[in-house]
Amino acid sequence: MLKTIVVREILEYLKSAKFLIGLLIAIILAAAGTTLNLQDYAVRHQDYLDAKKELKSNGFEISVFREPQVLGTLARGKDRDLGAQLKMSVMNAPSRLTGHMDSGQRSGPSSSGFSAVDFSFLVRMILSLLVIFMAYNAVSEEKTSGTLKLAMSNSLPRDKLLLGKLISGLLVVLGSLAVAGLMACLLLTFNSSVSFSGADLVRVALMLAASALYLSAFFALGLFVSVTTNRPAVSLMILLQVWVFLVIIYPNLSVTAAEHLYTLPSEEAIVLQKAEVNQRFEPDIKKANAGVAKGAPTNEDRLRFNDAWSGLEAENYKIDAEFGRRQTAQMRLAEFLSSLSPAALYDQIMNRLARTDIREYERFMEGAYRLWQKHVERSRFRITDPEGFKKSSLPDFSYHSDSAAEAIISIWPQALILLLFSLIFFVLAYNGFLRKDLR
Amino acid sequence: MVLFALTVVLFAANGLTFINSNAQRVDIYQKRVAKSARDLSTIIVWLSRQPNPLLFIADGGERDRPTVYTLMPKGTFYADTPNQRTFKLPAVPPFDWSFIIGTLFSLYTILLSYNAISGEKEDGTLRLVLSNPIGRIKLLTAKYLAIISVMAASLLAGALVNIILIGVLAPQILTLVNMSRLVFVLVLALAYVSLFAFLGLLFSAMIPRSSLVLLALLAVWVLFAVIIPSSSAVLMEKLSSAPREIQTARMLEPTIQKEIWAKIEEIGRRAERGEFKTEEEVRAVADRAFEDGEVKLNQFYENFDRSQSQRLRAARNLSRLSPAALFQFAAESLVLSGPDGEDHFLQQVREYSRVYDAYIQKKLGKAVQTSHFGLSSEVTFNGRKIALHSPEPQEYQGDKSDFPKFAERGAALGAGLKRAVGDLAGLLVWNIILALLAFAVFLRTDVR
Repeated sequence: MLKTIVVREILEYLKSAKFLIGLLIAIILAAAGTTLNLQDYAVRHQDYLDAKKELKSNGFEISVFREPQVLGTLARGKDRDLGAQLKMSVMNAPSRLTGHMDSGQRSGPSSSGFSAVDFSFLVRMILSLLVIFMAYNAVSEEKTSGTLKLAMSNSLPRDKLLLGKLISGLLVVLGSLAVAGLMACLLLTFNSSVSFSGADLVRVALMLAASALYLSAFFALGLFVSVTTNRPAVSLMILLQVWVFLVIIYPNLSVTAAEHLYTLPSEEAIVLQKAEVNQRFEPDIKKANAGVAKGAPTNEDRLRFNDAWSGLEAENYKIDAEFGRRQTAQMRLAEFLSSLSPAALYDQIMNRLARTDIREYERFMEGAYRLWQKHVERSRFRITDPEGFKKSSLPDFSYHSDSAAEAIISIWPQALILLLFSLIFFVLAYNGFLRKDLR
Repeated sequence: MVLFALTVVLFAANGLTFINSNAQRVDIYQKRVAKSARDLSTIIVWLSRQPNPLLFIADGGERDRPTVYTLMPKGTFYADTPNQRTFKLPAVPPFDWSFIIGTLFSLYTILLSYNAISGEKEDGTLRLVLSNPIGRIKLLTAKYLAIISVMAASLLAGALVNIILIGVLAPQILTLVNMSRLVFVLVLALAYVSLFAFLGLLFSAMIPRSSLVLLALLAVWVLFAVIIPSSSAVLMEKLSSAPREIQTARMLEPTIQKEIWAKIEEIGRRAERGEFKTEEEVRAVADRAFEDGEVKLNQFYENFDRSQSQRLRAARNLSRLSPAALFQFAAESLVLSGPDGEDHFLQQVREYSRVYDAYIQKKLGKAVQTSHFGLSSEVTFNGRKIALHSPEPQEYQGDKSDFPKFAERGAALGAGLKRAVGDLAGLLVWNIILALLAFAVFLRTDVR
């Protein structure tokens, strides 16, 4: 009996014009968006390789380069907005990522402020709308057309009917997701400038699973509203209002709220703190500068110069790091406040899995600082043992990026909330349907 | 009803958050100006941009724009990187009028208009209405006016809430000029909402089933409000022939070599050949070589900056395909935020730079450009090694009571209107085309 209902419902969906149009739009966007992002990634990756080869360190100043994330083609996150290069020297601890021309945000603010048209966007905005269009009249249309009471006049338990609608709807939704996802993955696989590791494939699978979870939440919501209202037009209106609120308004409001609730110290305050540190180090710096400015500095003079400047910069770095921690705390507040919105949760999960979120950036900066510390040590070494220095070399830049397992551990709260969304709304729909007046 | 309530809440939130951030910006600006007034120098000055009091209307990406510029002699200036306080936060559109109206009001207009014709056709009431002696043109006009009235009423209610909040908590913002700008933006908003009303009526007349109408309209809305603005930047980078940043960066060393070091090496060779009589002569020639080289380096950086802003402008122009972008850019022009606002400020920086250089010339006799890299070298002269450094500007130690003050001018209202005219015209063209199509289709549609 359940199987009959499921098959029938699936066929209904597949025959409907709105589903076919929606699916077509999704496929086109998945193809176009992924292609555009792939080409952009290929160019940026080539820039990265060129920079590593050509904008080399000159011994005094070293540069590290940030490799673009391959999975950013599916969920761009912050990958494109952050700079690609970080310069440092004994007199300059790592502070900000910049472009290759030392500029800050050269790409400039985007016109709309919305994130990119990537797979994550497709699922978050387009497929969720499609899911709403599928779910809104699941029950309410049958009620108005009178077929619901006809179906129920058979020996069909109510719960089986609703379960059948849920299963068939989910299958169609997940099927559409699979088609769009397959389109994106095929484009990725057949692109020669992109290489995947096994761990990357696991991440892609997890991203698809998160997308399925997100869409199920919206389907359950749609089903619930369809059960509780009597006319399809009303359920559609309600669902669209809720969609606009959850996907567009609420994430925006929660970010604005976080900005105002957790204020960061002003630029001037930071400058003052650094000025204080500068004053503390001034006598040492003066002595060190005098030592190397005279005609023939001794090794001791050079060491003093090295130590004074690197000491000052280490303190400056602490101030910057503290400010960075507060920025991150503000961001965490925004994430917490936006937990009510499935779209925000989904966005966080996708960016975390694709390694295009801020945590990845922070690990990069930590790795850069560790390299800076090694560079400072080697600068001393260069003075105390020039022969040994010539034989050794600075280690390659690397930083600890998390494994797929660690990524799963960090996203499970958001995934759990999404799952709860689906469960709660389905349970509400179930109860509502069991008590519903079907006439 | 829900629309009304939501509008009031959104505009109230917009007003409150703006007042809070504006207060912070004004505070920071005043502190900076006070500090600049104390730090008068012929080597370096800092010019702060006044916070725009109308950012609640069109933010224009303010959080990513520099608010302080460092100015040095001979017209060298650069933007201080803005305190990137929010780069870690998720990318969301700024919560301004152009977001509320551009993104949300257009959606609500669609929700109001999508079943204007198709819904009545499905209910069977369309043929009943038309069986009365009411012309089709009159009917469609009436439907359009109904939609517009509802949206206009919500818009006015929202704007009123906003104005009251600002009037109570920050009344200095509501000058006559600013109020006129606000009124012009409201007119713009009506033109924008109107085109979506015509769009909704057009699709509703073309497609018989309401759910399909809504689907089609939502697809168009997503295209206009989100996809076109988001992809124009990426597309433009792909299509533009401007060099990529890495390509320019790899030219930096060769440029320095060609414009500066080659000349210094030549001077060294001339010194060894004994072409110079005195050490001062060597230094004078070297100074000139350094200065000319720095000018060329300046040009190198400026060319790069120009190509980047050209690309940004091209991306903006590409996104003008979307009426949502037209509305946003017109609003930005009217309130002088966004890239136009930044350009307006930069023009004043350039004007002030000339005054500043003239002052330095008067007090020190010569304006010297700050070196980009503090370059130095040494050459052999008469068997001795002499060190050469790129010249640095000098600090004037005398009386600075006549130091030129930087006074930022606001833009005239007329200038804002002139800049917005193109985008406004675009919105009107959309309106006219969609209106004609809607009427044409409705006049021929089968209403049975």
